Amino acid sequence: MAALALAALAGCAQNETPSGSGADQLKGTVSGAGASSQSAAQEAWKAGFAAVSPDVKVNYDPVGSGSGREQFQAGGLDFVGTDAAFKPEDLTSLGSCAAGSGIVEIPVYISPIVVAFNLEGVDSLNLTAATIADIFTGKITQWNDAAIQADNPGVTLPDLKISPVHRSDPSGTSGNFTDYLAANAPEAWTFGETEEWPIEGGEGAEKTQGMVSALTAGNGSIGYVDAGQAKALSWASIKVGDEWVTPSAEGAAKAVAESTLETGRGEADLVYELNRATTAPGAYPLILVSYLAACEKYESADQAKLVAAYLKYVTSKEGQEAAAANAGSAPITSEEGLSAKVSAAVDRIG
Amino acid sequence: MSATVLAHDADRSASCGGGVADVLASSRPRWGRRLRNRLALGAVVLAVAATAVPLASVIWESVRRGMARIDAELFSSSMWAVVGPGGGLLHALVGTLLITAATALIAIPLGLGAAIFLTEYGAEGRLASLTRRAVDIMVSIPSIVAGLAAYALFSLLLGPGTRSGLAGAVALAMIMIPVVVRSSEEVLRLVPQDLREAGLALGAARHKVIRRVVLPTALPGLTSGAVLGVARIVGETAPLLLVAGFTDAMNYNLADGRMTTLPVFIYTQWSAKGLDTAAYDERAWAGALVLMAVVVALQLAARHLPAQIAKLRRNR
Repeated sequence: MAALALAALAGCAQNETPSGSGADQLKGTVSGAGASSQSAAQEAWKAGFAAVSPDVKVNYDPVGSGSGREQFQAGGLDFVGTDAAFKPEDLTSLGSCAAGSGIVEIPVYISPIVVAFNLEGVDSLNLTAATIADIFTGKITQWNDAAIQADNPGVTLPDLKISPVHRSDPSGTSGNFTDYLAANAPEAWTFGETEEWPIEGGEGAEKTQGMVSALTAGNGSIGYVDAGQAKALSWASIKVGDEWVTPSAEGAAKAVAESTLETGRGEADLVYELNRATTAPGAYPLILVSYLAACEKYESADQAKLVAAYLKYVTSKEGQEAAAANAGSAPITSEEGLSAKVSAAVDRIG
Repeated sequence: MSATVLAHDADRSASCGGGVADVLASSRPRWGRRLRNRLALGAVVLAVAATAVPLASVIWESVRRGMARIDAELFSSSMWAVVGPGGGLLHALVGTLLITAATALIAIPLGLGAAIFLTEYGAEGRLASLTRRAVDIMVSIPSIVAGLAAYALFSLLLGPGTRSGLAGAVALAMIMIPVVVRSSEEVLRLVPQDLREAGLALGAARHKVIRRVVLPTALPGLTSGAVLGVARIVGETAPLLLVAGFTDAMNYNLADGRMTTLPVFIYTQWSAKGLDTAAYDERAWAGALVLMAVVVALQLAARHLPAQIAKLRRNR
């Protein structure tokens, strides 16, 4: 205990040894903030980057996408993580960048959102978008409903009430989930894309962790959650074209590759118009794409170097694989076209 | 009234010669009242249990789930470059101690000053009632608003996006000051007026009476009030996440850079887990256990410090 106290007083955590041996001579602090969905990935990136450039400290405040974007516009952040891209009209005033600088916006964190359920004796289910919409709007109330049974021949479904769980806080996950339903089952889901759950009543859960606990606790429950956090639950396969597709990192990356870039944006502003209704084989279009936004030009050229180095690591093969290992995301590097575009965008920093 | 009853009883026992037993029997409450008494007692005991059960469950749960990570690494490492299991909370522990100390340094002198003004100088004046109302309002300000105010202040002074432990301390001070004012005012009021008058009668100036008579007399109570104020702010999360930010690394400089505290550490471990969720859960619970130990230590200090101070003074 005395040794510990001494260590604390001496001011060194045993895992933080000043090295001064960074091969790339970079030194400084890079500050970011934004989406909490990226937190686990950022953790992996920070650690991996520390191994490459030990004298650069990277911080990431998980304050939420909206708050992060506002702070980036107000100034004082080097980069921001966000589940929803900047609107083109917001890009005219970027307080964090040098005057007249463009924005670099790249997809760095792609994660499948799974329709997760907890049903005793059933490990996997096939659910169409229309069936999912009917469950969440309250049209289908029993697990042994004919619509569910039709897509799951051979599965014994219990005569049990379905309890759908939705996110009670405004969330990017809800936004992506409703966008998927609206694109694939417009008749059954009439509420469009919305981050705030549009239906009164039902069981609400706060944040991702609340959703996971609600689903784990209740037999007969169903919800939607970031795949990385849903390991302990059963996952539904969704219908893409004529196939049933299980959530996977590869499928998620494929769905992004099948999508087109939003037009009317800068060359380094890679924002995707996600093609939720894709029928490409193997694609899993129920995904969350989270972006990193940074400046093309910073007030200080040295700072630009630091940010560029960090983003290069984030988008590198090692960086993307580190995130996949810690957060369960889909590496963007598994799709060459996407990876090349992202690298080109990062090269514009500085 | 009672005199007549007594007279009546005495009268009766005298005339009937029935003696003591008879008197007791007549004064025994009827069964209805006894039943109501029992019920009320039962309800009170139930209320005590209902209060104690959540407390016991919080302690039990934190110990049960937190013990797994109470190890040397927890107290000797930060989270810098840690992915998945391992790592520690030294950075958060140091951050908590530094920010709390800075908060106390801001809030205690200001709060105590206001309380002295209220009891010794302001009395029933207009400024005093204005101050009291202001304190009442400050007590009910949600902590996140204090955080935003500090964020705005520091953005204005030092440019947008400024994060520092000091900004966090300023936000927390806004929460702690009214607590200190309230408790100090109560304690200062308890100092007997005679003591003040005696001092003044001996020809001491007012400030001298306050310094040499009032404050020393009230010191034990003032100490416990201050410690309770610290206990009130040591668990704040939201304002700190906003103005002090979040970092995985050690930071000993209050004036510069992000600084993590224990509640923020717990929050981030809990809300943003990687695939190995157990590692994050364990760290969060271990953090909760450490934070609880800090709070309990403060409460014990609040209880025993005043007596110790009094004893020291007596022996001097």
